[in-house]
Amino acid sequence: MNTIKSPEELEAKREEIIAARQRDGAAVAVCCGTGCSASGAGSVVAALQEYLARWKLEVPVKTRITGCHGFCEQGPLVVVEPGNILYCRVKPEDVPEIVDTTLVGQEVVERLLYIDPVSGKPVPTEAEVPFYRGQRRLTMGWNGRINPDRIEDYLAVGGYRALAKALSEMSPEEVIDNIRESGLRGRGGGGFPTGRKWKLCRQATGEPKYLICNADEGDPGCFQDRSLLEGNPHLVLEGMSIAAYAIGAAQGYIYVRNEYPLAVKHAGMALEQARAWGLLGENILGSSFSFDIRLTRGGGAFVCGEETALISSIEGLSGEPNPRPRPPYPVDKGLWGKPTLINNVKTLAAVPMITERGGDWYQQIGTATSKGTMIFSLTGKVNNTGLVEVPMGMTLRQVIYEIGGGIPGGKEFKAVQTGGPAGGCLPASKLDLPLDYEKLTEAGSIMGSGGMIVMDNTTCMVDVARYFLSFTVDESCGKCTLCREGGRQMMAYLMEITAGRGKLEYLERLRELAAAMQAGSLCALGRLAPNPVLTTLRYFKDEYLAHIEERRCPAGVCRDLITYSIDTEACTACGRCIRNCPTGAISGPDKEVPLLDQELCIRCGACLDLCRFDAIVVQ
Amino acid sequence: MQTVTLTINQQEVSGHPEMTILELARESGIIIPTLCHHASLNPIGACRICLVENEVNGALLASCVTPIASGMIINTESSRVLEHRKMILKLMLASHPDSCLVCDKGNRCQLRQMAAELGIGSSELDRIPQTAVTEEVNPFLIRDMSKCILCARCIRACQELVIEGALDYYGRGFKAKPATLFKSPLENSECTFCGTCVALCPTGALMEKEEFYRGTIGTVVESTCPYCGCGCSISLEVKENRVARVKPAAEDTGPGTLCVKGSYGCDFIHSPDRLTRPLVKENGSFKEVSWDEALAVTADAFSRIKDKHGSDSLAVFGSANCTNEENYLLQRFARGVLGTNNIDNGSSLYYAAARQAFYDSVGFPGITYTLNDLTGTDLILVVGAEPAASAPLINYEIKRAVKLHGAKLILIDPRKTKLTLFADCWLRPEVDTDLMLLNSLAKVIIDENLVDREFIARKTENYQELLDSLATFSLETAAEVTGVSLEQIRLAAGLYATAGKAAIIFGTGIMQQLQGTENVKALLNLALLTGNIWRKGGGLRALLRECNAQGACDMGMLPDFLPGYYPVEDLPARKKFETHWQANLPSKPGLNALEMMQMAGEGKIKGLLITGENPVAGFPGSALVEEALASLDFLVVQDLFLTETARLAQVVLPAASFAEKEGTFTNLEGRVQKIRKAIEPLAESRPDWKIILQLAAAMNQPLPFNSLEQVQKELEELVPLYKYDWEEKSPKEEDYWETMAEHRLPLKRFPRFSPVEYLPPLKAPDTQYPFILLAESALFHSGSGSRSSKSGRLSRFSASYFLQMNKIDADMMKLQPGDRVKIVSPVGELPAVVEHSESLPRGLVSLPRSRSDYPVALLFSSPPETSASSSALQRCYVRIERSCSDEPEK
Repeated sequence: MNTIKSPEELEAKREEIIAARQRDGAAVAVCCGTGCSASGAGSVVAALQEYLARWKLEVPVKTRITGCHGFCEQGPLVVVEPGNILYCRVKPEDVPEIVDTTLVGQEVVERLLYIDPVSGKPVPTEAEVPFYRGQRRLTMGWNGRINPDRIEDYLAVGGYRALAKALSEMSPEEVIDNIRESGLRGRGGGGFPTGRKWKLCRQATGEPKYLICNADEGDPGCFQDRSLLEGNPHLVLEGMSIAAYAIGAAQGYIYVRNEYPLAVKHAGMALEQARAWGLLGENILGSSFSFDIRLTRGGGAFVCGEETALISSIEGLSGEPNPRPRPPYPVDKGLWGKPTLINNVKTLAAVPMITERGGDWYQQIGTATSKGTMIFSLTGKVNNTGLVEVPMGMTLRQVIYEIGGGIPGGKEFKAVQTGGPAGGCLPASKLDLPLDYEKLTEAGSIMGSGGMIVMDNTTCMVDVARYFLSFTVDESCGKCTLCREGGRQMMAYLMEITAGRGKLEYLERLRELAAAMQAGSLCALGRLAPNPVLTTLRYFKDEYLAHIEERRCPAGVCRDLITYSIDTEACTACGRCIRNCPTGAISGPDKEVPLLDQELCIRCGACLDLCRFDAIVVQ
Repeated sequence: MQTVTLTINQQEVSGHPEMTILELARESGIIIPTLCHHASLNPIGACRICLVENEVNGALLASCVTPIASGMIINTESSRVLEHRKMILKLMLASHPDSCLVCDKGNRCQLRQMAAELGIGSSELDRIPQTAVTEEVNPFLIRDMSKCILCARCIRACQELVIEGALDYYGRGFKAKPATLFKSPLENSECTFCGTCVALCPTGALMEKEEFYRGTIGTVVESTCPYCGCGCSISLEVKENRVARVKPAAEDTGPGTLCVKGSYGCDFIHSPDRLTRPLVKENGSFKEVSWDEALAVTADAFSRIKDKHGSDSLAVFGSANCTNEENYLLQRFARGVLGTNNIDNGSSLYYAAARQAFYDSVGFPGITYTLNDLTGTDLILVVGAEPAASAPLINYEIKRAVKLHGAKLILIDPRKTKLTLFADCWLRPEVDTDLMLLNSLAKVIIDENLVDREFIARKTENYQELLDSLATFSLETAAEVTGVSLEQIRLAAGLYATAGKAAIIFGTGIMQQLQGTENVKALLNLALLTGNIWRKGGGLRALLRECNAQGACDMGMLPDFLPGYYPVEDLPARKKFETHWQANLPSKPGLNALEMMQMAGEGKIKGLLITGENPVAGFPGSALVEEALASLDFLVVQDLFLTETARLAQVVLPAASFAEKEGTFTNLEGRVQKIRKAIEPLAESRPDWKIILQLAAAMNQPLPFNSLEQVQKELEELVPLYKYDWEEKSPKEEDYWETMAEHRLPLKRFPRFSPVEYLPPLKAPDTQYPFILLAESALFHSGSGSRSSKSGRLSRFSASYFLQMNKIDADMMKLQPGDRVKIVSPVGELPAVVEHSESLPRGLVSLPRSRSDYPVALLFSSPPETSASSSALQRCYVRIERSCSDEPEK
């Protein structure tokens, strides 16, 4: 069909697509990433298509389905072009107004605009929204502008130009050198210099070589890889093709979480399109380079994100794959015992732009040791949750306050946890820490896969440590003693402390266990698992002491250490709490301040959430 | 070769780049404690006990999995290492149950030993003991997963050593445990109870079920397994003159695997049924007598018969389960003292055909295959064998070669054996058409010019005769007769001929046929065509049922050969023995075992000495055998137990078991291995070699030996084959077999091609008897079962007699699994219980052999014609009748 046989044909095709697009005129882009879809983007699209079909406009208007824009907090997002007008939280019933006012009347629907929480003023265009303004969306940027189902859209924004350049103008060594020069480091957590890894794999003896794209994103609250695969799958495929060319691989794998149905679907479609267009398969773009990719769906274990475990899983080994001891590293002996390059989705997604624009360009972005941009999943107690892509070196404060819009409800910032469940919790004193692999590690946390969970002062740090540890303990494969037993012991101590049975010596025990796990565990899961405990011990020791010495949870979270009571002054005797208490602990006659029976109270917090008069007091 | 130099504990050491820190440290005499590591298993770095510090960067490395690198400065006992090592152990102990005091593993527990060594008494950590239900339904082992430290030795043993894959990790995190598929009980899994996991488990999580003894062992004696021909090295753990436990021998001699018989079947030693005193029959019942009296009665009877009826009215049936020394003495006694060549041993029943074939083809009837190193082979052809039951160790080796070393596997068997899953190509010929199939393979190899021309020209004879015999051979007819498609035949022939090093393993399925000799010759032709006869990793191996089948034959326990395979007719050879033994030796081949029974029935054999064999249970047509033995003037039986055969004897002499004597066994690859005395002979039993010497003395013709060493010395002198010093020199040497072939074996010519022609079965299937019954080896029993059925654990586990049949056949006869039937052959009948089998094609049914209380052999008849080379058949035509009686079967 449309098989493209040379870089020239590719450019010609691109021109053709762009020209056709320019004839299109206006377009309404609806974000259909997972976040917006969950908020109802599907019905917005349906309403839009139906409305446009019913009222045939003079100027043709295209409905465009796009990938995640990152600003999930405000979804479903709709962007009207030309004009870059951003509408937030759009409902199907808003569609006629958008069409009539904006497309026909060329006016802005003010009530759907984003309101800047700082200035309180509406922001008409997407580009001006502070959430986007502070970002440098080099990788994510295309997501909002293309339909992930259509390879044409990707070509229109310059897609596969980097691959054409690599194949026609660069030797594999030059591709690698360029990546080395860029200073790109693994975005999956380890931060290993990407160019060096490629070089090692290229130099490794053994044929064939394999390339694996690690899309087994398992950190709670992280969805960058998902968004990229869902929103711009060709970007990842192009990055993979370049990497495969560089290391000399003919077969690639995308190991993707099966819990990401849209990513699986879009990646699968993209593979078919790329094959049909001749951008995957034999003699790509007329070169001697042949490469194809298979999609492998993960089995749902967190540890499968670990390189060697992932390899075992692709090989079809049973149950939970074993993290194998290393060396040999996968670049020497990986999949089926052959040299294998494993890169994270985000790493591979950065490859096309580096190849196209040059390593020297990329290495100007960022800090001395951390180059380029990083995508964070900004979640938790922050106004603008979503995916943010920022240059390395930006401070936590900038990300949380300038892009994230600060802490909601006027509450106070308490901590930010970076790097997923095995990352550390950094306090307010670290807010000016630049985001940089080394700086984060020094502070006791990690860059990880880019998780960023903001916590306010209603968060108990001991409980947070317990929560994150419980995740890694659950996800430990159990093979090595330190991770299996050490994690369990640490959990036991944390449970004791949060239950008010802690002893001072437990803190020492925790430190010892953490040190042993960090130093001696078999894989990164066990080595990093103690991070949340260690950082909270380091920065929030007072809270531990309050739990142990005063049997008190300062944040009012740990159930065994708190009591609920009713502030008789504030209570209006509305009776709401009485009706909703699941154990009947709150009772009393009508129109009277109710009584709370401490024996029956399970401190579930239902009354606290329901009370409109702040009459429920937690101590 | 490249070496890597580094420092370990301030000591400069170097090794090759593939070595791990642990290996180099151990080589340098530095001890690093380990738990999950085992030399026979792939290291996994799970327990972390072996952590060492690299002082260059402060990294802690699991030494068992970290390769050495130059410039490393390793400290194996820095304070940091010790601290973490202790922490790991404390963590293990914190989740271990508080049952050390009552744990049967006792001081054998490596966790306990290590805690003691590192000085860990109580742990300040929280005790969070694991809980688990103890699994102990099977009679062999107990699994208590609450004591598991997840070192995964059992998992790796199951997957890497015996390749059963019954165990794997189950669950994750703290719930991870070794378990079977869906955590089903072991007896419902692939587990064969080989005991390898038990032998490797460092804690009390896996333990053998001990019948009578618990606790710490006194001494450990290295010996050789007394069951099949594999000849596994075993360690007998002894205390208070009891063999308490059997383990695979120490790890440096091999992967250390056994099968269920080796691990759990040796409890027959202490069976209460052991004979304690000599018995003499008086008025039809046995009376306990003194040794002197029993020997006198025997000597007297033999002398009397010899004088009255001549030497050839006497016969000696020796044992493939007795030692080389005993067999040597026994045949010398028969030839020199009794003066007869009526000598045979139990292995002849199935091995005679193969021996004859080898003699004709290669010029030597004994060992003909290369070393046991199957791991180096490129292809294995298994014909008519189910090594999973008959030679488990070989089964492990085949699977390892295929799974871990990439060897190809071709199977020829009408049954679907356990190896089928591993096979690249499975040819399923109609029963008894193997010869046609093997000839067709040779035909394809010749036609497609896949032969090793140089080898054939330089090292073989008779090639033209083979070509002539196959000139008109029709592959189409072969495909039709065998039921194997032409493509399959071509595929198999191509695979075999082009593999490089191709080994052949064959079993009783192909030897115990009317054309058994021809079958084996056809196999030899294949090996000769492709130059695989003496090649390391090539060659042919017969699966032998008994621990010393090879040795008994080597020792001349045969009617036609003197020790070392000198034909009895060979005058110079005979003279040599006559001079040495100072006796006149009979010059005509004697009767083989089948003939002995026949002649006994005809009254031509009057006196018989049987050592450690049970023909009543093991011979075809056992009813006739029983009759024949009962009609003897005099029968003396040396055995451990009062077997069905011994009951017919006039004198029964209690023999000592393998654990109670010294000697050597020769395994199926020709390796001579020691057995060592672990305990004193029980009660008044005596080792067979002593009994023979005493018997000769009682006949006033004492043999000139006072000790086993003297016997061994003479043996080595007369049998060059046994001059080889097996203990000193490793038989793994590259050129061993070549040296052997050139210098030790009495080879006088090159191997010879043997034209062999397939003959259709003499008797067409009788409509009265529509099924062909096979007697199959059973994993849980051995030989005629006289020992294995006295093993409490083995007999408890497999107590029923199932008739295996194809489901369609069963359905046609409206037979459900569990239905009782009667199996009727032209010569006998047996009750059985039906079981559906997925492995048998239609028309075939099978019963387990090796049960002394269930003599399948009584259904079989002897071959129509016998010669020294005849094997007994292990198949016959039967019909199956629904059993009306509700009488419970055994």
